[in-house]
Parts: sequence; structure tokens; C-alpha cells
Amino acid sequence: MTGFHLLAGIVLPVSVMQTQWFAVLSMFVAINTVLYLTLAVIKLLPKLYLSDWVNRSNQRVETRSIYPEAED
Amino acid sequence: MGIVADDADRDIISSGDNRVSDDDARAASRRDASGWLGRYVGLLIAGLSIVGALLLWFAVSMRSPNVSRSPRSGTVFGRWQVFYDTQAPALMVAMGAVGLGLFVALGVAVVERVVLDRSRRSTDAALKLLAPKLVMAETRGVFGGPVTVTVLIPAHDEAASIGATLESLGAQNPAPDRVIVVADNCSDATEAIAIAHGAEVFLTIDNAHKKAGALNQALRGLVEGMGDNDIVMCMDADTVLDDGFLAAGIQRFTSDRALMAIGGLFYGEDGHGLLGQLQRNEYVRYSREIRRRRGRVFVLTGTASMFRPRALRAVAGSRGGLLPGVHGDVYDTAALTEDNELTLAIKSLGGLMASPGECRVVTELMPTTRNLWTQRLRWQRGALENLGAYGPAPTMLRYWAQQLGIGYSVIALSSFWLLIISTALATDQWVWFPFWLGVGSVFVVDRVVSAWSGGWKARLLALLLFPELIYDMFLDLVYVKGIFDITFARQANWGHVDHTSGLSTEETLEDAPQLTKATS
Repeated sequence: MTGFHLLAGIVLPVSVMQTQWFAVLSMFVAINTVLYLTLAVIKLLPKLYLSDWVNRSNQRVETRSIYPEAED
Repeated sequence: MGIVADDADRDIISSGDNRVSDDDARAASRRDASGWLGRYVGLLIAGLSIVGALLLWFAVSMRSPNVSRSPRSGTVFGRWQVFYDTQAPALMVAMGAVGLGLFVALGVAVVERVVLDRSRRSTDAALKLLAPKLVMAETRGVFGGPVTVTVLIPAHDEAASIGATLESLGAQNPAPDRVIVVADNCSDATEAIAIAHGAEVFLTIDNAHKKAGALNQALRGLVEGMGDNDIVMCMDADTVLDDGFLAAGIQRFTSDRALMAIGGLFYGEDGHGLLGQLQRNEYVRYSREIRRRRGRVFVLTGTASMFRPRALRAVAGSRGGLLPGVHGDVYDTAALTEDNELTLAIKSLGGLMASPGECRVVTELMPTTRNLWTQRLRWQRGALENLGAYGPAPTMLRYWAQQLGIGYSVIALSSFWLLIISTALATDQWVWFPFWLGVGSVFVVDRVVSAWSGGWKARLLALLLFPELIYDMFLDLVYVKGIFDITFARQANWGHVDHTSGLSTEETLEDAPQLTKATS
């Protein structure tokens, strides 16, 4: 049986893919891939700023211009 | 993967043993000054990343996932037989991963926002000397004159490029009020070219600390007598500004007197084939990220950044106490990436910084993988050393998160390659995974969209996905090497491309092996 598997795989026996560690590795990579997929989608979508929607109380109360008399 | 880009490779190269041993001594004293964190910051980052990965690995092991089934087969157009596997993570597992991704992204964003807002609203005159509220109070009702710009260009044998740099400055509208070339041990025509272009020349005296040391000498006498609106701009001798850089900078400094610094957004020069395009894509994505952050700065690039003299005076006065470095120095000469360090210094003091989209500069790219390796190793080591020097302060959390993120991505990408390669080696048939093909295509879309503004070459390269994945793996190797080097205190090279001879500094240094010898 092992001989068959050795023949079936190119370098590694096909049975490698039936082992528990391979299954754990697959799941580990799968979870990470979905995690990074989420981050990629977040970066793909337009970034929303809460401050654009909420009328903030911390609007500038005075000019920050170098000209004291300038309107802000 | 985030990059911590800074003044790339235009550091003035030392040419003697004395200088190198002096660098070693300074780097060693810095590590000592930073305590155990300075030395073991790399191991700490790596350890936390590994612990995170191990936790996930054990959590997965506990669930004892099913071993894979044999793929099914079907025929396409009734002719070709294909093998496919409908394997996909369970809904709960996928939801958990999505939740973790959202939590991480939201967590970092919220923490950064809270820290930034707290810093901006601070009235702590002892620690946050540059906090907007304090600056505003001190300058309220006072007119310090219109904004002027004095440009400092540190140069060490830059005859090949300084002319174009000065011309790009002269072409700015408005042009800078003063241009001072800081000539540091030049043996070529740098000074003569500078004078011919109408620039002033400042000659350094016994400078042993490369670019940072040269700038410190020039700045020492300059910033003391400057008014609040007399802006200082430091730029590299082989950097060309885009049209409108100065105008946009002046406009920002005029409209906000609490603004302490502006960092240029860099994009890569043309050429250098595939390696050049990979770097250009990276810079395009960095610029996109800064735009999405509405100009909130990661780093004030050494290629071209503008400062209010108040910020430079505050930094110089705080070194040796609140900040690392020698009291009176604007730049920390012990830092490998002095512009990254100055960014952290101003941030630590509560200073407001921005990277407006109009302030763009062309930056030099590394022509070979060896040059790129040297450059990135220096950036990586510099970033880690600065983390060690500044410690886990709230303003530093974003930078810690960035390093941890890269650390974890090294593990994630390595395990991805391990899985792909071991699967490829253990199968004799091509198996399609529809779910993962779908996931991969989203990654491709992300890559293409994020590199879109780089033009069709950038998009095409992004579309291929795998060249960029291999490039990421290269950067991951640099990251691991950087951690190794900082932990075992190997000296970092200054990567520098010699424009006149076509030799990279690394190659030049190889002629003098004693310069590159590791010194523990």
C-alpha cells in the first residue's frame, strides 16, 4: 500500500495528506487565509470615518491660521 | 504588509575604519541605554508572534479536523476529466476567522485613534511640549510673519545628482527662500555645482556621524534664531520634488500653526525591471494607505520632510532626557533610520504631523536584490531599535502592532507555502479547490485595486499574484534576519547606490571586508 502511495505522489507519499498534522496545517492555513481575506476586504472598501457622519462637539472653536485675524 | 519606509539609502557613507567603529560604539551605547528591551525587542516581537500562532495551532488541534478526502472528478465539455475538492472551512470556523480579522483591524484603529486624540488634546507641558493645545495657547494672537522655507540638503559626493535636485527646487512655485547644501567631506564637484545653482554651502567640520551628524551641525546654528513660521525642509541630494510640493506644504503650515511637520509621499523612479516594479507597487500601496488615513503619518521620510523650528528645538532640547540621544542634537546619530526616529520623537512630544497627497517625491529604487536586502535590513533593524529605545509608550502602540503584524504574517505566509508545496509534492494530479480559488481571486482583486494608481504595469504585476507573494517572502526573510541581527548585535550596513560608479555601497564595502565584518 505504501509503495502504491509512493508511486502516486511525485516526491512525497500521498498518505502525507491523510495525516493528522496535515489536516491541522490545512486548517491553520485556512483560518489565517480567511483572516487575511477579511483584512484585504477591509482595505478594499472605502474607509469610513465616524466623524463624517456625526456632528462632533470638538470642531475648532478658533482659527489655527498663522494669521490671527483669519476666519477658520 | 506594512512598510516602514524612511530615508532609503542616501546616507552618507563612511569610508574609514574609525567611522565604523564609532558607529558600533554608538549603536552599542544605544542598546545599553535602551536596557534589555533594546537588545531583546526582536525576540520579544518574534516570541509574541509565535505564541499567537501556537495558540491558534493548538486550538485547531483540539478540534481534530477531519483528514482530507479524496478529490472528486468530473468532466468539462464532456471531454476533459478534472479533479476537484469542495473542501472549505466550517461556517463557524470561517466566521471566527472573520471575527478575529475584524477585531484586530478595529482594535488597532481604535487604539491608534484614542492615543492620537489624547495626545492632541494634552495640556501636559512637561511631557507633550508640542501638543497642539499648548502651541496654540503660546502663539494665540501672535503673528510670526509669513511662512518661509529654508531647505537643507546633506550631500556627500553627490555631484551626479545634486544639480537635478537643485533645479527641481528652483522650479517650485513658490521657490524656497534659502537653499543650503550641507557638504559633508565631499571630494567631488558637489560644492561647485551647488554654488553654480545659487545655493549656499555649509561645510561640516569633523563630522563622524554621516547624514544625521551633518544635519545636526547645520541645524544647530540655524533653528535657534528662526521664527515660528520659518520652516526647515530636509531633503536628500538625489531627490526630485513633484510640482506643487512646496506650495502645498506652505499652505498647510499657513493654515495650521499647530502643525509641526510634513512628510513627503514617495513613489519609485522608473526602471530596474521586475524588481523595480515590485518596489513601485509597494510604494503605491503605501501612498494609498496614507491617503486612506487622511494624511496621518507613519514616518516623516528623510527624502523630503518639512519642520517647524519649534519642533526641532523641542526635540533637541529633550534628548538625553525625555528622548533618546545626545542633548542638543536634532537627529539621533545612533539611530540606523534617523528619520523614523525623528518621527517618533516629534510624535512622543505630541506634535501634529501630516503627509498631504500633494507633497510627492520621487525616490530611488534598489537595482539588485542584494541592494534591496541591505536597504530593507537597515530599515527593519532601525525600526526595531527605535521600538527598543522608545519602549511600549502609548504613542508607540501603532508601531508595535505593525511589527507584530509582520511577525505573524511571516508565520502565516510560511505555513501557506509549506502547505502548497507539500500538497504539490504529494499529488500526481491537478486538483481544483473552488472555495480557495474564490478566496484567491479576492486577494487578486485587492492587490490590483491597491496598486491601481501605479498604472497598467503595476496592475498586471498585481494580477499575477505570485511574484508579489514571493517578494513578500523575500521581505519576510529580511525581517527574520533583522531580528537575528539585532538580538546578536551584528552591525547593519548602510545600503547606498553609488550613482557615479554604478557600484552599490555593499559592493564597495566588500572591497574592504573589515567594514562589513560582524562586530558583536
